[in-house]
Amino acid sequence: MTKLLRLAGLAVVLVVSLLFAVFVGDQGPWYFAWVIGTVMIILISGAGAIMLDAQSGVSADGEI
Amino acid sequence: MEFINPDVVDLSRFQFALTALYHFMFVPLTLGLTFMLAAMETVYVVTGRQIYRDMAQFWGKLFGINFAIGVATGITMEFEFGTNWSMYSHFFGDMFGTPLAIEGLMAFFMESTFVGLMFFGWDRLSKQAHLAITYLVALGSNLSALWILIANAGMNMPEGAHFDPETMRMQFESFVDLVFNPDAQAKFVHTSVAGYVSAAMFVMGISAFYLLRGQHRQFAARSFRMAALFGIISTVAVITLGDVLGRLDYEKQPTKIAAIEGLWHTSNPPFEPWIVAALPDDARQENHYEIGVPLVLTPLITHTFNQPITGMHELEDEAGPRIRSGIDAVAALRRYGVTHSSMDLAQFTAHEQDMGYGLLATRHAPGQDVTAIPADQIDDVVRATQPDILPNVFVTFWSFRLMVFLSLWFFALFAISAYLSLKRRLERSRLLLKLCMWSIPLPILATEFGWITAEAGRQPWTVFGWLPTFLSASSHGVSYMVFSLIGFVLLYSVFIAAELYLMFKFARLGPEHDSMEPHAPAAPGASAFDMRPMAS
Repeated sequence: MTKLLRLAGLAVVLVVSLLFAVFVGDQGPWYFAWVIGTVMIILISGAGAIMLDAQSGVSADGEI
Repeated sequence: MEFINPDVVDLSRFQFALTALYHFMFVPLTLGLTFMLAAMETVYVVTGRQIYRDMAQFWGKLFGINFAIGVATGITMEFEFGTNWSMYSHFFGDMFGTPLAIEGLMAFFMESTFVGLMFFGWDRLSKQAHLAITYLVALGSNLSALWILIANAGMNMPEGAHFDPETMRMQFESFVDLVFNPDAQAKFVHTSVAGYVSAAMFVMGISAFYLLRGQHRQFAARSFRMAALFGIISTVAVITLGDVLGRLDYEKQPTKIAAIEGLWHTSNPPFEPWIVAALPDDARQENHYEIGVPLVLTPLITHTFNQPITGMHELEDEAGPRIRSGIDAVAALRRYGVTHSSMDLAQFTAHEQDMGYGLLATRHAPGQDVTAIPADQIDDVVRATQPDILPNVFVTFWSFRLMVFLSLWFFALFAISAYLSLKRRLERSRLLLKLCMWSIPLPILATEFGWITAEAGRQPWTVFGWLPTFLSASSHGVSYMVFSLIGFVLLYSVFIAAELYLMFKFARLGPEHDSMEPHAPAAPGASAFDMRPMAS
């Protein structure tokens, strides 16, 4: 039941996101670009940090 | 009786410019730092590594200092519209007040409510709930900027409103047109992302300071990497979005774009050079010592190779018939106010779109009354008014260039920093680290220049094409304006000093909790200007 509710919740989020994308993408393309762009900037900068964690040889004494 | 006191108008403009410039020192950092905090906390929630929580908390503390002082300086500006710009508020309040009220009720309250939860909810909320709160703070602060910029876009490109001759003011017509005004869209994304650049430089510069001193190295390396990547994408975006704004100005505010480019005569496509540097002479209406790059201006502004850009002399010529028509509009409106006859209304409606140009002629009319201009003097008044349609070219030209040159500097700095961080060669590049540190204030300076370009370039209008600035101010006495101006300068200087003191203090102390460097010295008494490493 919990899984079903979670699925339904995610489906609602998906539908709302699609409606938002269609409406705002049409009426306000730059607002839409801001939403997408901001998410992308956050993800890429976060990925950069995770990559630093994963880079071999990084230790408290290693070169940064 | 003459009702326009140019000293009061100038002092009102100076006071507003000063308070806005002060306020805008804090805004970009708030806009960008909230999303940087969200990015750090997202990594914490995804990886579960304590260091990202330390990062979010430390940079959050610096954000808190900036946020508190930014809010204090912003509130006074909203009151200034009523106290110093009452004619403007009457004329455009219906349009301007709506987004301002929404900003207060929706964005500001949202931001202020959640910021408390963000600071004090670390041990009271689940990781996911706290992350959601941080995103809501980021969204709230940026929505706050959105509504302010929607209001500002209404002044630059009035859409969703019409002038009502009954109430003598602009009446709200369409909420959708107001919100989706192309100028609002372009200006919001450009300004918001410029805030991201400011925040990225702030985090990168302070991280560079720690790396130079060999303190909090793992903390600083991660902060630096995130900021460099955040900054490089944001800088590319802010330059691209600036181009969108330039294109809009070319279509809707030709005087602004001509002033920005120092273009006194209509361009000769495609060969017209982009003037890199010159000394525009407003009095003689020409440039001195021009240095230009041929073939750049036309594609840069028009996105074509064959469309001309109208020069300022030609724009003055084009304004002549509009000023004459505007004088007729103002005269018909004055008559309609007394007679309410349909004939006067019809005459006003025929010239309505030029009413602002008629108001612009007020300064040159006998007794500041355009209805009192004798028929044989109308040509003289029109000729005298024509140069008034232009903004201050020197200020607009150079503020734009300084903004552009700085943004190119940021692009280079972020690109090299991101590359060296990805290659893990940061600590070898001490010069770069020093440049990052010294560049901390530059993005804020660039946003100030951007604001000056936008607002000085809009002159002589408060509502573009409708209401001249000199008719927008309240009728205070000069002494009142001087007194309040001194008060603002003193008060805001104290705010700036407090901000700088606290920022330097907490940045020098470094993160309170550094999980990867538990015994790191806090360097008591260390100076931010001391470049010698404490540990290697």
